[in-house]
Amino acid sequence: MKNLLEFNNVSYFYQTKESEVNALDNVTFTVEEKSFSTLVGPSGCGKTTILSLTAGLLTPSSGSIILDGKPITKNDGRIGYMFQRDHLFEWRTIWQNIILGLEIQKKHKSAQKLELAENLLKKYDLYNFKNKKPRQLSGGMRQRVALIRTLVLEPALLLLDEPFSALDYQTRLKVCDDVYEIIKSEQKTALLVTHDISEALSMSDKIIILSKRPATVKENMIISFSGGTPLQKREDDNFGNYFEKIWRFLC
Amino acid sequence: MLKKKKNVNYSKARAQYLKKQKINKFWIIFWQIAIFLIFIGVWQLFADLEIIDPFFFSSPSRIVSTIIDLASQNNLWIHIWTSLYETIIGFILATAIGFVIAVVLWWSEKLRKILEPYLIILNSLPKIALGPMIIFWVGSGTGATIVMCVLICVIITTISMLNAFISCDNDKILLMKSMHAKKYQIFFKLVLPNALPEFVSVLKINVGMSWVGTIMGEYLSSKAGLGYLINYGSQILKLDIVMASIVLLCILAAGMYFLVSPFEKRVKK
Repeated sequence: MKNLLEFNNVSYFYQTKESEVNALDNVTFTVEEKSFSTLVGPSGCGKTTILSLTAGLLTPSSGSIILDGKPITKNDGRIGYMFQRDHLFEWRTIWQNIILGLEIQKKHKSAQKLELAENLLKKYDLYNFKNKKPRQLSGGMRQRVALIRTLVLEPALLLLDEPFSALDYQTRLKVCDDVYEIIKSEQKTALLVTHDISEALSMSDKIIILSKRPATVKENMIISFSGGTPLQKREDDNFGNYFEKIWRFLC
Repeated sequence: MLKKKKNVNYSKARAQYLKKQKINKFWIIFWQIAIFLIFIGVWQLFADLEIIDPFFFSSPSRIVSTIIDLASQNNLWIHIWTSLYETIIGFILATAIGFVIAVVLWWSEKLRKILEPYLIILNSLPKIALGPMIIFWVGSGTGATIVMCVLICVIITTISMLNAFISCDNDKILLMKSMHAKKYQIFFKLVLPNALPEFVSVLKINVGMSWVGTIMGEYLSSKAGLGYLINYGSQILKLDIVMASIVLLCILAAGMYFLVSPFEKRVKK
């Protein structure tokens, strides 16, 4: 499969009042097109820094980041970002939240884009809520709205920064399934950041294991289950083996 | 038009709960009115029985007759209108200027850091100390009162709005940036709507503060206004005029407060 994202020997330093901090050290990995990859590592190792670099919000100190054959630029339009919390704007309706990115990019009058937004709402059972305010929706529905808000911008690559961590366990399992299904059925490429090994295993085709700061890539692990939803994968016989392997790398 | 009565079947517990809520609400309103009436009644009674000296403490009946007297001399409306006009102009100017300064300081972090100590000093300075200077700068009368009013409200507006702007969730700003929002889009689509509840609080505070400014300004130098009337009443030892002016001030300030409160309901929706 074609590489959509390539990190080539990327290092990143940042300055604090006390000292210079080395967050990433020669990080190299790839994310294949239409695959679901996950970055796992100890907390504070620089996972979110990798996402910020990929989104063009930060610039690497050295090395290169290539997306679809072209280097990432500042505020690269080919990236969609989903955060830990849904960050829906409470003063906007669901529909207004979904077209927020389109408004910013002045595409909110494009019939094709609006049709895409409507179709996504219909497809993922949110159409009847389009005129509601975010506080009238459950945690899971809010995350679906946040995902659709990102998808209407038709990004080449979706970055997911622990998007389920603010949810309670039961909702989390359900939302994992929902988000996975949406990403797969829309044939999107996703890069997830999580510190939850089970979550990483249940969703990913590949897991990139990072060391503690300064982060380096310890292992690229290809995950293969007999298919199914994230919830079904958790019941696979191999799940425990993979879990242990990753756990050993992280210890 | 008659409202269609809802067909509801409450459980006994629910009905009891709703009834209790209704009774609670009734008693709160009852006591709000009762305290007012008892206060007025006791005041009048004590004045009539001369337990308190009506010369110093006035009485509700003397206040009403003073207001009627002032109204019949055609002076009252001039004083009310002058104070109201100065307060409203001061309120609007201070809110607008304070808001614009807050936006500029949000926009430029460097400028914000440079001006931070000046804001703190200006906020702690008692603005009344500038009174004599204001008269030299803009002359006495309405102009000086409006300037005093603006000085009192503008710094607190700037500080409150700036705090509301900069307390906007950083991740939400990052989300906007990840969608390639420009700074003005981040402001108008996120920072400003996010700060609206604080803006309404500022409006409510400014209603009170702008009246403080007006009365201070009128104390300093004026030929009309309720502050002038209070000053005049105390100088000729007619404390009924002072009390009547204070009562009118209360009514006007409350009126302005209620004009602002629909904004709060709208923002909370």
